[in-house]
Amino acid sequence: MAWIETLVNGALLGGLYGLLGIGLALVFGVMRLVNIAHGEFMVLAAYLAVILVGLFPQVHPLFVLIPVVIAAFGVGYLYQAVIMNRVARAPDPLAPLLLTFGVSIVLRNLMVEVFGADVRGLQLGELSRASIRLFGLSIGVMPLLTLVAAVLLFLLLQWALKRTSFGRIVRATADRRDIVRLFGVKPDLVYNYVMGLSLALGAIGGVLLAVRSSFTPFSGVERLLIAFEVVVLGGIGSFWGALLGGIVLGMAQLAGLKWDANAGLLYAHLLFFVMLLIRPAGLVASRA
Amino acid sequence: MTLLEVEDLNVFYGDLQAIFGLAFSVAERESVALVGANGAGKTTFLRALVGLIDGKQGRVRFDGRDIQDTPAEHIARLGLGMVPEGRMLFDTLSVEENLLMGQVSRRSGAWTLPRVFDLFPALEERRNHLPRQLSGGQQQMVAIGRALMCNPRLLLCDEISLGLAPVMVEQIYGAFKNIRKEGTALVLVEQDVKRAAGATDRIYCLLKGRVSLTANAGDVSVTELTQAYFGM
Repeated sequence: MAWIETLVNGALLGGLYGLLGIGLALVFGVMRLVNIAHGEFMVLAAYLAVILVGLFPQVHPLFVLIPVVIAAFGVGYLYQAVIMNRVARAPDPLAPLLLTFGVSIVLRNLMVEVFGADVRGLQLGELSRASIRLFGLSIGVMPLLTLVAAVLLFLLLQWALKRTSFGRIVRATADRRDIVRLFGVKPDLVYNYVMGLSLALGAIGGVLLAVRSSFTPFSGVERLLIAFEVVVLGGIGSFWGALLGGIVLGMAQLAGLKWDANAGLLYAHLLFFVMLLIRPAGLVASRA
Repeated sequence: MTLLEVEDLNVFYGDLQAIFGLAFSVAERESVALVGANGAGKTTFLRALVGLIDGKQGRVRFDGRDIQDTPAEHIARLGLGMVPEGRMLFDTLSVEENLLMGQVSRRSGAWTLPRVFDLFPALEERRNHLPRQLSGGQQQMVAIGRALMCNPRLLLCDEISLGLAPVMVEQIYGAFKNIRKEGTALVLVEQDVKRAAGATDRIYCLLKGRVSLTANAGDVSVTELTQAYFGM
């Protein structure tokens, strides 16, 4: 019974991990760009949430997500428009990759400068500790809400990409960034919106993860690593694969911790390594 | 009235010059063939016209407006459309979604989704298919329909019969009669000189990046054309 509870909790944690990966997967799918700074932007969103919670203690911390997500969208839009679009057309794919790497280092050190290196966390009070009993299992309310939110966000994103004209333009730009111009679409503008969306999704993941575990300005790398593993494990380019990858990773982490309390993320990484050897295309092989 | 006027156009790929001092014009409602051997610069010329190639000098006027420095996404909104060589469909979009991409430019006119389906009934049955599930001819119909959905005043068609079965080519050229009825001017890039001359009013022949012949499609003799085409 205890093991089942561990696996269920792992699956719930996986919803959160899926959220960390989805923003990264979106940007990679549309622009073929790996945004190394994705983790730092997630941590930045968590800092913003902590500041807002401090400024408005009477507001429930979860409502802080709304301004944080809007701000993250704006930051993503500007990040792409001002910095990334300068190299988006470079024939050498290394140039944009190195640029995002540089941005991640700059952001990390700026955060140390501004917020200090102290460990921070986001307290939700009662909600953090609340749990319900389901089929004899004790399930945390917050992890359950996180998984529900992740599934809803995945559905929403899927709908937006498949059913709206914005989504159609994004997919067409991903297919052929030159040819969309013949129909009046400016690819750079599409990229701005996609990066905004990616960082907005990352911000949700970053804030919810800050509720679960504390963070410092250096936490971006761990978050990026999880996001990477989620995306690769699920199958690059597959959104539902990312959610599935997150769930598998979350289960491996909690099962590993139960077995060996000092393991941290070791067993999640080991599972990722083994999966990479036996199924390099990912759990859900991409259609392309 | 002149719809498109090109004067002294030079196009470069880096240090390499592909088009030399080209002069070219298309009148409203006119249909013009552009022929020439492989590597003569036909595709380069069309891509430069619509703004997909940056390295160009000279003067391009469309509908009374200088467009040599206008970015491609703005040129599309002015009503200069293109069916690119190799069709270049959006692979992960369905047939219908490909066609709807033509509407992004928000130009209103005669061509709507139902009208395109009237023109190419085969596409309506396959509206939810992906391009790779279609035959080459049907893919070409999608590419033409997609460009028509922008309601262009001038439509540039690059090698639309390349690699297609003769019966398909027949069908597609039949559709051009309907397209011209709406007053759309055409530029057809073709390898098949005879077919090009049969479907158009005027003919330009390119040789190594220069115009080697221009004539009314009805008057041109085979010897003249052969000489202009091969340069001997």
